[in-house]
Amino acid sequence: MLKDISLGKYIDTNSVLHRTDPRVKIVMYIVYLVAIFMIKSPAGLIAAAVVTLAQAAVAKISPKVLWTTILPVLPLALFIFILNLVAYKDGDVLWKWWRITVTAEGLRLGTVMGLRLILIIISTSVLLTLTTTPLKISDALESLFKWLKVFKVPVHEMAMMMSIALRFIPTLIEETDKIMKAQISRGADYDTGSALNRIKGYITVLIPLFVASFKHAEELAVAMDARCYRGGEGRTKLNPLKMTGRDWAAGGILLAGAALILVIEFVIH
Amino acid sequence: MQQDKSTRAIEILAQNISYTYKNDYEESEVKPEPAVRDISLQIESGSYTAILGPNGSGKSTFAKLIDILENADSGELSVFGLNTKDEESFWDIRENCAYIFQNPDNQIVGTIVEEDVAFGPENIGVKLPELRERVNQALEYVGLKAMAKRQAAQLSGGQKQKLAIAGALAMKPKLLIMDESTAMLDPQSRDEFLSIVEKMQKEQGLTVVTITHDMTEATACEKIFVVEKGKIAAEGKPEEIFLDPEKVRRAGLELPEHISLITELAKLQRVKLTKEDLKDKKTCAVRAAEIALDPIKASSKELSKSLKKKPDANDIILSVKGLSYAYEKGAPKILDGIDLDVRRGEILALAGRSGCGKTTLISHLNGLIAPLEGKVEIYPEEGVTISSEVKKDKGLFRKNVGLVFQYPEYQLFEETVYKDIEYGLKKNKTPEDERKELILKAAKSVGLDEEKLQSNPFELSGGQKRRAAIAGVIAMMPKILVLDEPASGLDPRGRREMFSLIKHLKEEGTTVILVSHNMDEVARYADRVCYMEGGKLIKTGTPEEVFGEVNNIPKPLLYDFAYEVRSKIEESLGYKIEFGPVGRTAEEEAKNILSAVAREEAYNA
Repeated sequence: MLKDISLGKYIDTNSVLHRTDPRVKIVMYIVYLVAIFMIKSPAGLIAAAVVTLAQAAVAKISPKVLWTTILPVLPLALFIFILNLVAYKDGDVLWKWWRITVTAEGLRLGTVMGLRLILIIISTSVLLTLTTTPLKISDALESLFKWLKVFKVPVHEMAMMMSIALRFIPTLIEETDKIMKAQISRGADYDTGSALNRIKGYITVLIPLFVASFKHAEELAVAMDARCYRGGEGRTKLNPLKMTGRDWAAGGILLAGAALILVIEFVIH
Repeated sequence: MQQDKSTRAIEILAQNISYTYKNDYEESEVKPEPAVRDISLQIESGSYTAILGPNGSGKSTFAKLIDILENADSGELSVFGLNTKDEESFWDIRENCAYIFQNPDNQIVGTIVEEDVAFGPENIGVKLPELRERVNQALEYVGLKAMAKRQAAQLSGGQKQKLAIAGALAMKPKLLIMDESTAMLDPQSRDEFLSIVEKMQKEQGLTVVTITHDMTEATACEKIFVVEKGKIAAEGKPEEIFLDPEKVRRAGLELPEHISLITELAKLQRVKLTKEDLKDKKTCAVRAAEIALDPIKASSKELSKSLKKKPDANDIILSVKGLSYAYEKGAPKILDGIDLDVRRGEILALAGRSGCGKTTLISHLNGLIAPLEGKVEIYPEEGVTISSEVKKDKGLFRKNVGLVFQYPEYQLFEETVYKDIEYGLKKNKTPEDERKELILKAAKSVGLDEEKLQSNPFELSGGQKRRAAIAGVIAMMPKILVLDEPASGLDPRGRREMFSLIKHLKEEGTTVILVSHNMDEVARYADRVCYMEGGKLIKTGTPEEVFGEVNNIPKPLLYDFAYEVRSKIEESLGYKIEFGPVGRTAEEEAKNILSAVAREEAYNA
């Protein structure tokens, strides 16, 4: 059940995108985030979809993985779609029933908003989580924000915290699965009943999960101590980040893709 | 390097060290008990030492003091000749000391295998290209080279522990501390793990200190320290420690299987064992054969065996028919054509390596997973059939089959033990006035004191927590109780108590299915065994049938040793004799051997 979700997972297909410097990917990710948010027209949407899907193809991500990545956000996208659909009342009326009015503008807006969310999730996954290991992401963030150290911001520590958080996602998912199964065996039911009851049901899962997380944290802290962890000072790296010509080229191509989306959105439209 | 053992340097020297955990959170009136009290010991460089003792005896705390993960309150502790209190020595000690913990998931920091191996050396500032070389060498050494780029989370438990050794090895340590590192591994993975460690100790002169509940592992060490309530209760070579079974049992430990058998033989033959007899397994076997061939001193009454009543082979309570399962159609099968009948009132053990499909199989038994092919049927009473094919009967499945997962204590969530046990009863809508009685009965069955019912489950000890969790399942009065590795993580005494609890449940009429990879316990406690491999049932039968024939199924250690003794006896006699199947306990097997020899003598006379 929970194990089948790909959102936030790293999948090694050893593609060009996997090998690209994570700093390039993070910077480009921000560029794409901004670009996608600026889209208001269907044409821009199509352009963005084509570009992100092309990236997914380059990253050798299978359609199935892509599907399981967007699956968890579909309900939210649908909700945004419906909200926009019914909330917008100006323009040509397409359909009217009781107090619900659907206008052409509402339909357009709903589609753009809903699809935009999905595109953002795809972009996040393709540029970051699916193709970059958590440790690399945190390495890149540490490197990109190292100037903040001047202001006494604990950049290394924050990056380490983030990578540990990401590292423990699969472990916690597995644990949630186990706890739920144990409670289902004792007659718990998470799928039926009122919303309130369902939320109550999840609390009984969250408590043992919380206790387990603290245990993980405590033991991991001791293990890190035992492995001589002492912060970022004097630490070396097995895979130090180094920008090569290929990384600059990859960055250039990604930037061109983002430019293309914006050109279609603002010039051609 | 046998000859310079006497001149080996001292690696760890502890003089009267004590340590008490500070109570940061609560302003409790009770002063916490010291975890380590006045321990003095020395461990030589390049030696292999075991620290044994029940859970909570302070052995882990002591090991943490060595690696300065905690600081001793009083006394002197020096490691590698450096004082642990000396701030300048801190990193010199820690960098040379590797520590492997019990739970592999809680010591892996890197997401990718090679990233994790590099974590330690990166911390101490090892530069490229040496860093890369160390990582590659370490992975090569433990046999994980091919997995260097894999995700650590995808490794099996055994592979994760090997990854932990690789991480330690890449630090080039002088001292390796293992804190119950093999407790979560199946026997084959454990043996692989230990042989890597032994190789490191021999080839690289590594000093190894192991904290373990595995007595057979302890016999391979040069020296044992037994820790009890924070103090050293005994120290000596394995043969010295295990010479006194009473003392071993009092300390909450047990004898290794082979020493257990020779001890039983000696008891029956009124022979006093010496430590030379127990020196190693081979000597043990020779000596055991000699003792058995002494004139029989044991009376025929002592040699008579109690007859066990067998469950009726025709009275089936649960039946698995042609069951197959895969995560999706076309994917590799996790279960492949399983056919299994469970008899009413028996203890059936499901044995096999980690990942062989045991947990998936038991998840089918109460409808947690629906079969992809085939079906599961239960017959709670005569003439009643509940089938997994009838969707609406799912609730009846859950009612009749109770399932206790591994480490059930991690699933407790209520404020009091009482409420936690009540959870399932509330869910299946048991009337309130009936609940109390069921809860008290369940608590009594698992041996939980009534006063404990009102306490917070998180305040209980590990063993008690597990009992509370099991009580939560048996309060629902399932006809069949399924337990996944019920004894894992417990110390020898805890394991014994857990199995006597299971036997007690059986006597109360519950049918028990238990998953285990400890073959000795399976042979000792189960009426029948079902061995699985790669999602298939390889063999089902009594322990004598499954372990008694030549096949690829891993044998209990008692069996291995019993066969060794038997063949030594036949060697001395010069001909074969009929011993019958190996006994389920060391005591039974001692009787078997002596009866066979006695029969032989009577025949010859």
